[in-house]
Formats: sequence, structure tokens, C-alpha cells
Amino acid sequence: MKKNDPKQRHRGRPALRKMLKIMKLTTLLFFIALFQVSAKSYSQETKLSLKFENETLENVFSKIEANSEFSIFYKNDLIKNSKEVTGEFKDALIINILDEVLKSENLTYNIKDKLIMIVPKDVNGININSQQQKSVSGKVTDQTGASVPGASVVIKGTTTGVITDNSGNYSLSNIPENAILQFSFVGMKMVEIATEGKITINVKLEDETIGVEEVVVVGYGTQKKVSSTSPVSQLKGDEMARRPVTNAQQSLQGLAPGVTIVDNGGSPGRSAATIRVRGITTLSGNNDPLVLVDGIEQRIDDINPSDIDNVSILKDAASTAIYGSRAANGVVLVTTKRGKKDQISINYSGYVAMQEANNNPKHMGLEDYMRYQNLAYTNVGMLPLYAEETIQTWVTSTDRIKYPLPNVWFDKVYKKAPQFDHNLSISGGGEKIQGRASIRWQEQNGIVSSVFNKINEARVNLDFNPYSKLKISADLNYRQNYSRNGSTTFTLWHYLYHGSQWAVPRYPDGTYGISKQGHSPLLYNDMAGSDKLNRGMLVANLKFDLEILPHLKFNTQYSLRNDNNVQKIFNNSFQVYDYTDKSKLLKNVDKNTLNENRDVINEITLTSLLNYERIIEKNEFKFLAGYSEISNKQNYLSGYREYFYNNDIQSISMGSDNNKNITGYDSEWGLKSYFGRINYIYNEKYIFETNSRWDGSSRFTGSNVYAFFPSVSGAWRISKEGFWNKSNKLFNELKLRASWGKSGNQAIPLYEFYPALISAPYTFSDKLAQGYLQENMSNADLTWETTTQTNIGFDSQLFKQKVTLSFDWYKKITDGILLSLPIPGVIGLNAPKQNAGVIENKGVELMIGYRGKSKQLSWDISGNVAYNKNEVISLEGTGPYITTSSVDPMTIRAEGLPIDSNWGYLVDGFFQTAEEVAGYPTLFANTKPGDTKYVDRNKDGKITPDDMTNLGNSFPNYTFGLTSTLKYKNFDFFWQWQGAADVAVRLSGALSEMGNQEGFTHEIYTNNVWTVDNPNSRFPRPTKFSLNNVQSSEMLIYDGSYLRLKTLQLGYNVPATFLAKTFVKSARFTLSATNLLTFSKLNEWNLDPEFPSGRAAYYPQTTIYSIGFNFQF
Amino acid sequence: MKNTIYFTTAILLAAFFSACNGNLLETIPTDRISTEIYWETEKDATYAANSVYRYLDGITIVDYDGLTDILHSNIPFYDNGTIERGDYNSNTPKIYDQWVYLYKGIRAANNFLENVDKVTTTNTTLINSLKSEMRVIRAYLYVRLVMLWGDVPLVTKTIANISVGQSVTRNTTAEIWTFIGSELDACASILPLNQTEKGRITKGAALALKARVLLYQNKWLESANAAKSVMDLNKYSLYPKYEDLFSTVGENNVEIILDKQFIKDIYSNNAFQYLGPYSQKNANCNFVPTKRMIDSYTMSNGKSISDPTSGFDKDNPYENRDPRLKFSVFVKGSKLPDSKIYDPTPGSKTLDEVGSTYLATVLGFNIKKYVNSDDLSNISNCGINIILIRYAEILLTYAEGKIESDQIDQSVYDAINSIRQGRNDVKLPTIVSGLSKAELRTIVRNERMVELAFEGLRLFDLRRWKTAETEIPGFVEGMTYKNTSGAYVTIKLDGFLKIFDASKHYLWPIPKKEIDLNSNLKQNTGW
Repeated sequence: MKKNDPKQRHRGRPALRKMLKIMKLTTLLFFIALFQVSAKSYSQETKLSLKFENETLENVFSKIEANSEFSIFYKNDLIKNSKEVTGEFKDALIINILDEVLKSENLTYNIKDKLIMIVPKDVNGININSQQQKSVSGKVTDQTGASVPGASVVIKGTTTGVITDNSGNYSLSNIPENAILQFSFVGMKMVEIATEGKITINVKLEDETIGVEEVVVVGYGTQKKVSSTSPVSQLKGDEMARRPVTNAQQSLQGLAPGVTIVDNGGSPGRSAATIRVRGITTLSGNNDPLVLVDGIEQRIDDINPSDIDNVSILKDAASTAIYGSRAANGVVLVTTKRGKKDQISINYSGYVAMQEANNNPKHMGLEDYMRYQNLAYTNVGMLPLYAEETIQTWVTSTDRIKYPLPNVWFDKVYKKAPQFDHNLSISGGGEKIQGRASIRWQEQNGIVSSVFNKINEARVNLDFNPYSKLKISADLNYRQNYSRNGSTTFTLWHYLYHGSQWAVPRYPDGTYGISKQGHSPLLYNDMAGSDKLNRGMLVANLKFDLEILPHLKFNTQYSLRNDNNVQKIFNNSFQVYDYTDKSKLLKNVDKNTLNENRDVINEITLTSLLNYERIIEKNEFKFLAGYSEISNKQNYLSGYREYFYNNDIQSISMGSDNNKNITGYDSEWGLKSYFGRINYIYNEKYIFETNSRWDGSSRFTGSNVYAFFPSVSGAWRISKEGFWNKSNKLFNELKLRASWGKSGNQAIPLYEFYPALISAPYTFSDKLAQGYLQENMSNADLTWETTTQTNIGFDSQLFKQKVTLSFDWYKKITDGILLSLPIPGVIGLNAPKQNAGVIENKGVELMIGYRGKSKQLSWDISGNVAYNKNEVISLEGTGPYITTSSVDPMTIRAEGLPIDSNWGYLVDGFFQTAEEVAGYPTLFANTKPGDTKYVDRNKDGKITPDDMTNLGNSFPNYTFGLTSTLKYKNFDFFWQWQGAADVAVRLSGALSEMGNQEGFTHEIYTNNVWTVDNPNSRFPRPTKFSLNNVQSSEMLIYDGSYLRLKTLQLGYNVPATFLAKTFVKSARFTLSATNLLTFSKLNEWNLDPEFPSGRAAYYPQTTIYSIGFNFQF
Repeated sequence: MKNTIYFTTAILLAAFFSACNGNLLETIPTDRISTEIYWETEKDATYAANSVYRYLDGITIVDYDGLTDILHSNIPFYDNGTIERGDYNSNTPKIYDQWVYLYKGIRAANNFLENVDKVTTTNTTLINSLKSEMRVIRAYLYVRLVMLWGDVPLVTKTIANISVGQSVTRNTTAEIWTFIGSELDACASILPLNQTEKGRITKGAALALKARVLLYQNKWLESANAAKSVMDLNKYSLYPKYEDLFSTVGENNVEIILDKQFIKDIYSNNAFQYLGPYSQKNANCNFVPTKRMIDSYTMSNGKSISDPTSGFDKDNPYENRDPRLKFSVFVKGSKLPDSKIYDPTPGSKTLDEVGSTYLATVLGFNIKKYVNSDDLSNISNCGINIILIRYAEILLTYAEGKIESDQIDQSVYDAINSIRQGRNDVKLPTIVSGLSKAELRTIVRNERMVELAFEGLRLFDLRRWKTAETEIPGFVEGMTYKNTSGAYVTIKLDGFLKIFDASKHYLWPIPKKEIDLNSNLKQNTGW
């Protein structure tokens, strides 16, 4: 048994290994920095001895290159008329040589590391290198005159620069004549000032006004935010990467109105967070928004948050129609960071975090539980389970081996778990090539030891500018995500609550205790097996941008994505013997099994765009025409074997030859689309835009293959009108917007239109008899779902641009919803998808931001609220469709109700007397006083499913978020609140069973159940093995509204003066906490508010504390 | 000039990429077979027919007995427990699932019958046999539908579109019985007496099902005649070892008239896991026999245990009993598949101990039929065939038909006595002639209950006898044991009351989901 115990195998090791990894990374960083320092001094230290006799400059340069590590760049035109050179140099510095050979030419040079650039002298004939270099100093202030410490002052085109001190002063020496200084500070507009021989330059920086010049990413392009006609939420990568998240979608939570992220926990690497943009639009299939990373469709989970430059969320039809049939649920556009010219920087960021489970339900106390069980038994006419003396002995005993506590699993199984994340990136470039490369290493331990996750990924983004009119971008992203979960047959999460009472977790000799029902979540966690998933993703992307004519650009992008998932689910064999009698086998799982799955998806996307942009006087025109193709191929293979030699021999060939199985399939789909956009702006005031897409999909057949998705939108910048500025001091900017359009949803299983037979064998005479059977009904008339959306809103800036305010109202109607409407059972086939039904989402979104600043302090606050009302308008007269289990959460799809509303009986307290029971209809024949009184809504004298009613939304109607940043000197403080309201959750399983089926019994029931003496209790009388009080009813429904302090973060930037003498450009440290404080009705159940309705049998949400580091070199 | 080059390059590039995927929007699946290319060869016909056999009852046939007095649903929160308690309604998933399952089988059979003539073959014998096999399976499924719901839509053609499915009405029980009868008659005349492949439907199966169908309609004499026609085939006889009937060695024996065939690894069932005692690799023991069932086994001298002269020994309650008891049920002292001794007595500290966990038997008994030691190695991968009709039933049908139609003669006694004596391992005293109709009725009914225990017939027997309201209701009781103070205690589940409401429980409710889609379907009375 010890052999199989993973805990024993790795004892004490992980910490050391992690430490070594950190050390290796640090060393690497150090060498990179060192290398940069030494490179700078090459030109000052290297001495050359050379001789030239009547040689052309070309030869001279070749000789220099041959005798040194310098590389010399020049345009041939420059030297074609140069004079021949003669001269001799001994141990000369490169600048001396160059000064000499170029003295009679109209040329000068720039030296950067080992690169020498030969350039023409400027008009004054001044050689910048040979002139005396000067010093400049001054002070940087903001609009109010307050000094700005920490602002950077950089000589344009170089990496030379300083950072202002605490009083905002700076001093920069060795500045070439005619240099341009760039002054910048986060949140302020960059200012460039030519030195022009000045010795003192004071600069006033202005706040970067949000919106006015800001550019937002939209479908197949960018737009100035002021001329956007759609409510686009754009988030900066830096904002998103603030808290230690494992995936990008968690970091979106609470930041954008109308974007609801429900984090249903999920184990690391298998996140269960869902994104919904403006509600749920479809009943079946996919409600996820389309996620495009640099134009390539991807899972949002598969993006390194640190690689994100910005995220645009397109919500209305005007902005999404251009994505046609995939855009009904909104579009998330992710743009990754790219290298910039002349700014080589190395950046390290990382964090160390500690995670803690958020679901820690508390079990009833020992004595309370025993008496409670007795009550439950006697309530159904059985004898009490525990005699009084048993209770006394049990309670007073200190021997918890002989007298175990009823349920201590949460303490034994959950543990604090560390998480590490390291990101290293280098970016920079020259005229012709710019690049950025990054690597990330993340390791996340689960809050139970069977869960583990590791991510390794690298991204290289390169831009080439071979000619002024051509730009070629080549990106490569490779990612490996290894995640391990526990056994799939004995799911720990289920057994934490169910069937695990009264076991000693582990005996002194290490033997596992098991409950009377034969279970132990701890045993299952440690020994029952593992589910290991290796997700590999490779994305390659090649993009050409070409200016064909002035104003006309052509752009084509070809990208490949390969998903390669390998999963091994190995369920162990194991035995548990009795602690006291080792010969007694208590639990015998003698079969170990392996399911090994390979899932390979190859997707090729080709997009070509033609862009025409022209400004003629006050008229600004933009035209876009595009063509796109997506081809997706999938191959799935799954193998099964059992009875392996032992649990460590996990290769599929080592299983028994009996009962092995291999299955798999191939599938493919394609999308072919034509799309276009016209923008017209008159006098920066009147903005008009239209988008449309003609999409063809292989998922449909006949005339349904192609569909058209149009949109129109317009905006009016009232604040640009002449009458406005003079009369209105309050609004600096006000723009009214309106849009209308259609988008579609094609996310249905493949080949739905295709009547097909599947393999369904039988057997005769103990031999296989092959068989084929049609199981599913086909529907050749299947077509797209279409979502028509109208949006009206405004964007504004008030109070000298300190306040920004946006508001939107929308109405989204989805028609022809692809729905597996139940079909009559008499047909004898499974229901096909049908275009049936209409769903409406209506809502408003409000976003308000404020930015303030005083001498030492700056702060900004941004809040958003969204309301979305969902309603099923039509199911074409059918329905309602109700999930059938009554003990698990029941939901309904019915006309007039929100999708998947909770469904069940109303409750009118508990029956108090036998007379009351006799005088009112009951659901169960053996109803007694203290049982739940289900309401006979239709007053037909019977309690039947017809008495059930709507018990609340399963998806929140309100979502809100508030973020605020405070900066004081080198400190900054950030917090984010986030929440949802008007949502109901339903408890089931052990949580709601009240100890009925020997499940986890929450302490909330203590002295809170109905008895004759306690008739006003909160809960009904406890019973055994009866379902009387656990029927789907409002008794089990809780208000799922919550408000939580999602993130709290304190940051410290090391002052520039400290760093001046080091190779570190900037250093930042942060302390943060996630999910620190929550207000929710579910707190009394010790459940996280984002708890999904049900049994809580899942990997829970966590509270995370972290320390973060960020260094720039 | 340069621009032109770029432009041309770009256009060529674009053209190149677009040309790559001419058939992008016409993807053809390779993981399924189109119905359009099917129905060409003889093989297609055979394969399509094979798949329809899957709709015959498997091990869940036990569930029907589980809803009666002889078994108790050991997992009370499953639907079987809900039905047992009388707490079910038109929303109960099991009711809907069963409805859909039966109509899926009917659809598969209809589909075969509609398409099989497209196949080009000269082997008409094969095609005719396959057609009849499908019609018998369809009839078998309709017997289930009628017995569970009464009037049901009689669908004999595939329903091509949904609106047709939404307008069907319930045909009367009589119409469906007539249909079933004529189908079975027709098929019996076509089907061969013996099929090369064991498990295929034969003439005998059609005739035997006809006997059952007539019995269910209380057409006594006709059912006796139908049973006689099976007997007269001289093909079937009682298998000498009752003990082996439900084990691998007994597969395809002379007594089997119709079974569902299984084979390990390829098309297996989970009989062992479904029924076995908890101590046997945590098997699920979905159903456990009740005291009522156990007490129905007489003493080996043929006397009821309630008879003071029977010799029943309270301390050895399972000794000297009808041997079929120990062949059918694990009782205290039985040898388990893992060779241990079964002891569910409270306090025994075995895994089967009553009350130690709700997963082990709560009554102190476990079903033994189909729980074979050779399946212990992998309890969810069993190859055991599940018997659907066997010769013993035919003999009892014959006897009952004759008794009820007042044609009591020696052949009735012979039929009953052959079951009591006709095997090597079951030797009970003969029933001596000269009994009244009522006495014989009691005997034959008890014989059906004992001989065919857990084989899925009890529910329908109670329904046709209309005795369910007297047989089923009451608290569930289990084994009797001697407690530590020496007193005899009978396990009684006070919290579990079996309910049968004669005003509605003789038929299940039509599933609400089905009525929601089709207002032509009227609900059964009482629901």
C-alpha cells in the first residue's frame, strides 16, 4: 500500500525543486543583463590597426568589418560618389577611424553596440558624434503644476534615459546636439521636445484623455474610439494581468459591463469559468463568445495573460456582424504584445501565490449529529440508532480511532496549495525588424493533492519591414498545459459529501479508514487513480501588409492552429484492509483501467483584406472588403484496456488482452465567408458605418449553406457642434450612438442534416453479430440561428475630461434557435436539432470612470453595472421542457420565463398537526407533522407536477464591478469589487438531504429542525430514507446574489534613484489577495457565491494570496 | 512598376490560398454510414436486423419483479423505489425512459420492414425469416407497452416527420392484442423451428409469446392451446439442473425458447453488478428478495412453512426447503461467488451485514439467479444470456389456461408436476389429482411465483390477476434472526411502505412529456 501512496513518494522534494528553478531563472536574467552592459562598451574599448591605400569607402568598411565585430550599414547611394581613402591607424578607436575616413564626405555615423550606421550629415553639416555633448536638466510637472516623480526622460532613438526624482527633477548628460527628449509617464500623454541647445527644459505633462485619441481594436481593423459607433469594451493587458489568475477569462471578471463571467470553480487547467456577453442567446449548443487571438480562433483559456496587449469585447450587432455566423454571443478580440522600434527591454514578472478552498462546509457537532440521527430514525417509526450510553461513551471519549468523528474530510483532504508563475520577455527592434519573445512557466498545485497543473509556453512575434510599403509579421505560439486530476470512477468531490460518514481518515499505521458505505475521499484522492491531460497548442501565423497604392492596402493572413490533446485516465486497483483485522478485506477494487485518448485538431484560417482609406476635406471614407476561409479537421482516437500488472505500469500495451476497446472518429467542417465594411465620417461629427458578412458553412446543406448578416450604425458627436462648446462646459465630449444588425450562430454538432447509421452490434451463439442502427433523427432544413440586435447609447466625458460616462441600451432577439426540441417518443429516434423558438435579451449597461490627481496622489475609479433580462419568447407552441429529476436541480424552458429558470413547488411552511396533514393535499402518502407543506397551486386537491412554478433565474440579471487605483509616491493600491444579483441557486444532494441518506450533514441544521417543541424551525423534520422533504421546492432555493472584494493589491515601485546604478530599469513588488471578502447568503452554508446549483461536488473556487515581482532591464 | 508586382503577387497569393479548398463546404462524414447508401445487399439486411435484437429485455427485466411484493428496491432513492412506494407520477423519468425505449425498438423494426425489400438477393428464405423475426420482436415490445400503459399508439410504420408523431392517438388495448395475435400467427408459420445461430427468434418463440399474450388477455383456452402447440413441437423440455439454468453452462439449453444473448467484452451486461450482494466487489444489489418471496418456497415435503406439520425449523429456516430457494436466493449460509459464506445477520460484521450500510441488503437476502462466480473477476462485463421465455413458463401457462377454462384433466397435473419433479435437482412431492379449481389456481400461481422468480413476470401476473392491491401493499419485511438476547427478530422497514392504489396503479401514467407534445394522448384514469 505504501508503494502506491503518492505522498510518500514526493515527500519534501517539490519545494527544493521549485527553489532550483527560480535560481536558474534568476541566473539567466543576470547573464542577459550583463551581456547588454558589456556590449555597450565594445566600441569604446576595441582598438584597431588598419591601413588603406586609395581604397573606396566600400572596401574600407569591409576591412573594418573583417578586422572587428562591427557591422556597418549604409545605403549604396550614399557612397557611390565618395572619394578614395588613404590612411594608416594603429590601435585606434573606431570613432577615430570613422571620423578620419569620412572627413571629406558629407557623411556621419551612429554607433550602437556593434552596429555602425552610415548616414548623411544633416543640413547644417554637423556631425552629431563629433560635436560636444551637453547636459540638460529640468523638472517635470503635471497640469496642476505638481511635480511628477518617476517620469521617464529618454533621448529619442536610444535607450539612454533617466527617471525623474521625487521632486520631479531630472538631469541628463551626454546629450547629442539636436537630440529629441521624450517625456512620459503612465496615464499621461508623451511629450517630445527638441533640445536645440537648451540647458534647461521644464515640461508640463498632460493627462492622457481617455477616449479622444484612443484606438480600439474592432473586427478586421482598428478605429479611433471617438469615431466608433459601437459600445466596445477595451481592456489593457496590464489591467487584466493584475491579479494572479491562471487564465485570461478569470481576469476579465467584473471589468466590462455586459460581460458576465461565472467562475464555477473547476480544477486548475480545467477551468469551469464561462463568459457570457449580454446574456444567453441560445438554448442548446454554444453560448461562448467567439474568441480571436490576433485573428485566430482560440480558446480563451489558451492565452498567456502576460502576452495580452489589449482585449476588445464587441457586444452589439454593428461590431459583431462582420464575424457573421459565429458572432451571436459577442466577439472577444485579443491582441498580443509586439516588439517596438529602438526599445530593447527585458521584462521579468512573476508571482508566488497560496491558494485556499472557498467551500468548507461545517459538519454538525458529534453529539448533535448522533441525537439528530436518532430523531430522524424515530421520526419514521424506526428505533433510535444510538443508545444513550453509546452517545455518552462516544462523546466523552478521546479515542477518535475507536470513536471517530462523523465527518472530518474537508480538514483532511483540503490543503493550502502554492502556485508559481514566471514570465520572461524580451522585446525591441530596429528599422527593419522588430520582435518580442516571451516564455512563461506556471505551476499550480491543487487544493487537494491529486490535482496539479503546469503550463509552459512561448511566443515569438516578429515584424519585418523589408520595404516601406510591405510589412510581414510572423508569430509563433507554443503552449503545453499538463493538468492532473484524481480518479474518474471514485470522484473525490462527490464522496466529500456523500457516503463517507464515520470513517477514521487514516489510522496510526497509515491504513485508510473507510466509511460504512465503503468510501473515503482521502483514499480516493491518494490512491484511486489519475486523469492526466496534456493539452498542446501550436499556432503559427503569417501576415502580409502591403500598400498597393496610396490609400489602398492589401492584407493577407494565413494561420495554422494545431491542438494536440493527450489524455490518460488511469483508475487504480487498490485494496483496503481492516485496521484491527488485517486479514479482512474491506474494499477490493481489483481492476485497474486505462482510457487513453488522442484528440488532434488542425485548423487553417486564411483571411484577405482590402482596405481603402481616404480623407477629402471634411469627408473621411473607409472601405473594407474581405474574404475568409476556415477549415477544421479533427481526429479522435480512444483506447481502453484493463487489468494492468500494477498501477505504475500505465502503458496501454501492458493491459490485459481481454475486454480491450478502441474507438475514434474523424470529422471536419469548413467556413467560407465574404465580408465588408464602409465607414463615413463627415467633419468629425457625423459617423456612419455598415458591416456585413456572407457566410457559408459546411454544417448546413442545400440553400441553407449561405446566410447574410448585415448591420448599420451611426453616431453623432454633439460636442463637436459649434453651438455645444460655447454653451456647455460640463460635457467635453458627447457622442450619441445607434446600431442595428444581425449575427448568427452555427455552433451545432456536425452532420445534423445527415440521416446516418451507427454501429450497434449484437451477438448470436457467443459470436459478434455486426449491426447498424439509426438513432438520431436528421433535419435537412436546419439553418442558422439569427440574432438581431438594436443598440442605443452614448459616450461622454465630463468635468474637463475627468469623468467618463457611457451608457447603452440594447435588445437582442434570437430567432430560429437551434434546439433539440423533444419529439414524441413514439417516433422512436433521438430528437434532431430544429430551428425553433425565439429568445430575447434586453438590457442596459452603464460605465462610469473618474480620474483625479493632486500633488502626491492620483486615483481613478471605474464602475460598471449591467442589467440583462432574458426571456424565452417562443418555443413554437411546444414545451415547457422541464428536467425530470426531482431531487436534483430542476429547470424549465417555457415561453415567458428566463431560460432554465429554477422550477419546483412553493412551500407554505411545515405541517404542524395531523389534522393539518389530513386537511391538505400531500405529495407523499406518509406525510406527517413537520414535513414540508408543498402548495397546491392549482387547487385541484392533489400535489402534482402541475403545481410547480418558477423559483428564480439560474443566471444573474444584474452584474456589477468597481475598480479603483490609488497612487501615492511609489506606492499604489488597487481594489476590485465584483458581484451579481437576482439569481437563484438550488442546493441538492447531501447539502439538502438533512442527513437522510447518511450524507454530510451541515451544522446549519443543528437545533433548527421541526419538532413538536420547535414548530417555528427553519428546516422540516429530519427523516431517514424518505424523499418527502427534498423535492424540488423553494425550500432548497437560495438567493445567489453576492458582492465580493475580488482583488486587493498593494504595489511598490522601487524609486529610480535606487536603481540608477544598476542594470535594472524598473522594479515593482506587489502583494495581492483574491476573493478576500464576500457578502452572500451562501456564506452560512460555507459555500462560494459562484456555487453552481447542485451538490457542490466539484473543485471549488479559491482564495488566493500572492506576492508579485516585476523587473525591467 | 513595383506596385504592380506587389499587387500581382498578392492577388496570386490570395488566389492560391482560396483554391486550396474547393470542397470546403461539402464535408462528408467518415464516422457513420449514410442511410442513402444502405439497403443494397443481403448483408445490409442481416446487420440491420441484428441491431433490433438489442431492444429485447436485458438484466433490467428484474425491475418488473422489483415493483412487486417479491422484491424490494434496495436503493430507495432510485425511481424503482419511488414506484414501489406509489409516489411516482407522469414526470417520473423511468416511466418516460421505458416508453421511449420501447418505441425506439418498434421504430427500428418498422424501419427494417419498410426497407428490407430494397435489398437485392435471391435468398428469400433469409429475408422472410428476418422479417418475421423483426415482427416478433415488435410484438414482444407491444406486449410490454400494453401491459404497462393499456391503450397505446399502435405504430406500424416509421413516422417520418414530427407533426405526424404529434397527432397519433391511443389505440385500444383490444386492437393491439389483435395486431399482436395476427402478427405472431403469421410469423409462426414462416419462422424455422431451428435457427443456425442460437438466439435468433424461432417458430417456438413466436408460439410461446402467443401463449403468453393470450394468457395476459385471460383467453384461457386459447392460451392453453397455444402452449400446447409449443409442447407439441417436441423441441423443448425442462433442463435437468435448475441450479445451472441461470449460469453460463446452462446457456442455450433445451428449455430456452427466447433469450437475449450476450458475450463478454463485445456485447456484455452487468448482471452480476446489478444484482449481486454488496460483499462481492461492492456489487449494487439493486433489488433484494422479501420475506414474502422467501416464505413462498415450501418445505421439501411440499408443505407451506406456515403449516405446523411442515417441520419448519426457525433456527435453520432455509433447510429442507424447496431446493429452488437456494438456487435462486442467497440466504444465510449460502456460498458466495468468492467462496465465502453469506451472512447478512445484523452483528455478523460481514460486508453484507444488514444495517451496516445502506448499500448492502437491507432485508438479509440477495438474488442469486444470474450472479455467477465466473463473472466475479469483472462484475460489469458479464456474458450471461438473459432468459426471456423458457419452457417451464409454457407448462404453467398450459396448466393455468386449462384450470381457468375449467378443463382440468390429468394433463394439468402432469404439467405442474413435471416442474416439481422433472429436474434432477428439484424433486418435490407430486400434486395429487382431485383438487378443486380454486386449489389448483392457488398452486399454479404459487408455482409461477417460485419457479419464475425474478424473471420479470410477476408484475404482469399480478396485473392480470388483479390481485396487486392485496399482494403488494404493506411494510417491507426481511429475514428473521435471533438477536443477542435470544429473541427472534424479523427485519421490518417501518419507514418503507409499499403502496398500490387499485384506482390507478394497474396502469402507469402516460409520460407527461409525451402528452405535452401530443394533446391527442389522453391520460390514464387516476393520474
